[in-house]
Amino acid sequence: MNRALDRQPATPQREWSRFKFPGSLIKYGIWLSILVFLAYTVKYLDIPLDRLLGMFGRLGSTLANRYYPPDIEYIMDLDYLEYVVETIQMAYLGALFGLLASIPLGWFGSYNMTPSRLYVFPIARLISMGCRSVHEMIWAILFVTIIGFGMLPGVLALTFFCTGFAAKLFAEEIEAIDMGPVDAMRASGANLFQIMLFGVFPQVRVAFTGIAIYTWDVAFRAATVVGFFGAGGMGWYLKRNILQIETERVAAILLSIIFLVLISEVLSAWARARVMKMK
Amino acid sequence: MAVLEVRDLCARYSASGPEVLKGISFSVEADDFFAVIGPSGSGKSTLIRCINRLVNPSGGEILFYDREVTKLRGRQLRLLRRDIGMIFQEFNLIDRMSVMDNVLSGRLGYTGNLRTLFRAFPRDDIQHALNLLDQVGLLEFVDKRADELSGGQRQRVGIARALMQNPKLLLLDEPTSALDPKISREVMSLIKRMTTELKVPCLCNIHDVTLALEFCNKIIGLQDGKKMFDGPAEEMDQSMLDKIYEMEVL
Amino acid sequence: MNKALAPPTAAKPTVDDIIRSQRRTRYARGAFFTLLLIMVVWSVKVTVIDDTDWARIGSLANVLKATNRFIGIDFSLFPTLIGPAIETLMIACLGTLLGVILCIPAAWFGAHNITPYKPITYPLARLMMTLSRSIHEIVWALFFVAAVGLGPLAGVLALAVRSIGFIAKMTAEAIEDIDPGPVDAIRATGGNDFQVVIYGILPQVLPQVLSVVVFEWEINIRRSAILGLVGAGGLGLVFFRQMNTFNYHGVTTVILAILLLILLGEVFSYFARKAVI
Repeated sequence: MNRALDRQPATPQREWSRFKFPGSLIKYGIWLSILVFLAYTVKYLDIPLDRLLGMFGRLGSTLANRYYPPDIEYIMDLDYLEYVVETIQMAYLGALFGLLASIPLGWFGSYNMTPSRLYVFPIARLISMGCRSVHEMIWAILFVTIIGFGMLPGVLALTFFCTGFAAKLFAEEIEAIDMGPVDAMRASGANLFQIMLFGVFPQVRVAFTGIAIYTWDVAFRAATVVGFFGAGGMGWYLKRNILQIETERVAAILLSIIFLVLISEVLSAWARARVMKMK
Repeated sequence: MAVLEVRDLCARYSASGPEVLKGISFSVEADDFFAVIGPSGSGKSTLIRCINRLVNPSGGEILFYDREVTKLRGRQLRLLRRDIGMIFQEFNLIDRMSVMDNVLSGRLGYTGNLRTLFRAFPRDDIQHALNLLDQVGLLEFVDKRADELSGGQRQRVGIARALMQNPKLLLLDEPTSALDPKISREVMSLIKRMTTELKVPCLCNIHDVTLALEFCNKIIGLQDGKKMFDGPAEEMDQSMLDKIYEMEVL
Repeated sequence: MNKALAPPTAAKPTVDDIIRSQRRTRYARGAFFTLLLIMVVWSVKVTVIDDTDWARIGSLANVLKATNRFIGIDFSLFPTLIGPAIETLMIACLGTLLGVILCIPAAWFGAHNITPYKPITYPLARLMMTLSRSIHEIVWALFFVAAVGLGPLAGVLALAVRSIGFIAKMTAEAIEDIDPGPVDAIRATGGNDFQVVIYGILPQVLPQVLSVVVFEWEINIRRSAILGLVGAGGLGLVFFRQMNTFNYHGVTTVILAILLLILLGEVFSYFARKAVI
């Protein structure tokens, strides 16, 4: 205890404690239960924590011994490059069809502009949620079982996925617009289609373009791997080489995927910046 | 003949909400510049919006050229709105479109869907738009985007857009309250001049009593959804104003 | 907004000027859409027409028949779904948590107002975020399955690494947007860097970061449900088994279970985010 403080005139005693009775107890209780839950999770999943640290060493040596050097020649092969182009085309079609489908879906699923809040709105929301919640890989597997191997199931899977993805974002954008111009268009006797074209579309155009670019990113990323389950593109190469334990080729293919996705990301970041500047 | 006759108009925001308008009646004649005044929250804006059915009235009748319009739906309603121009407090222009496209958008009620899609308006409409822009003094700004203009200029575009409809009645919803006093007066006299010239009757909801007395020939005063005064502008005096604005004075 | 605009010097426009410029815009737009369409046609030809085995698909009736096989629920599967469903959920939780821990350095380096040495640490963090975000979770899972073997651990690691990008990016942006006032106040009382972070920065960004984490957790449920396809545990493994044994009603059942799990996650995250903000 500090003497100088002790000698100060006595002030009326005020109690202050960091611990407040019910509030703090609940707070610490929540933290404690989270910790207990985590410990239980680790045990339930049977995660070998001791192996976790050793993992990095082994990971390094595996990478160095078996995955290095990547077989660059393999991915420079014309056959493979053709698959790259097809992957891009698949992503393009999937993203485009998905975006086209999600424009009406986003419109119907926006609370302020939907033609009918009672019927159309919940149906549109349900469709877009269903499309979005099912993972693109599951879509791919389903379509492969229904129509067989090839690019078509890939395109369809990406279309469904992108539809759900973009429709939600579109709907949110439409819900955020200024209703003033919409009122003005209604007041001038415009019909619903004209209100959309003049009152709504100019306000969301830039945001929509941004979302479209974003959708392309997601679609391309997915397109590189849907082939893993038989839906065409580079993923199929990946699968075949993994099964044949051609580790150096696998490394090369993974590198090529990372490289392509990075390029696509850089391009779309540039495009997005340009679009935003246009306003 | 009365252009617009309103009888016992009632309105509420939601089905169970309080009544905003409690039985308003008045009529607008062919050469009227009709003002609705009253404190904020008295139902002025709702009244204006009931006329072109942006708000649906809960009771009463609105006769527009002797035609009952409170029950119109779909195409009939759009045809009604086409005949009634409207100028808004916040201008409500389409910010990212050019001044020209904004003015042309007043023509949507006359335009087909395909033409709308390609923004291919008929030649006559473009000529008409240019004439109107010339009259509001914005001819040089045709290709500017609406959000590049100042407040007064934006409201001028709003005027041109509303007149583009060849309206048989013009509704003004607080046309000047987003503008400063000098610009307000300019805009009001521009509206007055053009509507007199085109013989369009106006129904104007206005906050600023001085402007109302200066430009309008008839006034109704609302307070809390009820009509307190109805008569020529000359009959409006200070005691009546005090009565209408009682809520604000207290 | 109110600044007076100097009138443009161009001569007064005529109707013909307007129509001509409108036509020009229309042609430019037309050219753009034609280009888009040409690419569509080419892509459709390559991917859909040439590549598809139309003989196998046969008629539309065949496709409908194939689709029809999926309609139905395999009730006998229910008891075997509970374990994997819990596993999926737990993988998502652990993955998100590990992701949060891993993203601390990424967010610290990636926020340009607090990054320690901008020329090196900032681009490093950005690279980390981009790598994490741009690689699909299946690829990450494959990688970790190869590294630590089959099982939930691979899934947890894959999700953790996949989550870094988004959480770190949003956190860094939140840090960049903070009010510098409290930071200066802590500095003024003589606080060190760590104290500045704990008292000046963390309280300001915590609500946003927590809401981002909950959001990412929700997405991670969706992801963890398919990681089993490449051997990383959870519902995906059950799905894979049903697919391989051609138990199509079972497939539908698993998908519905996944949807239910995601729905629960969404409901939970809705309330959690409300509580946080």
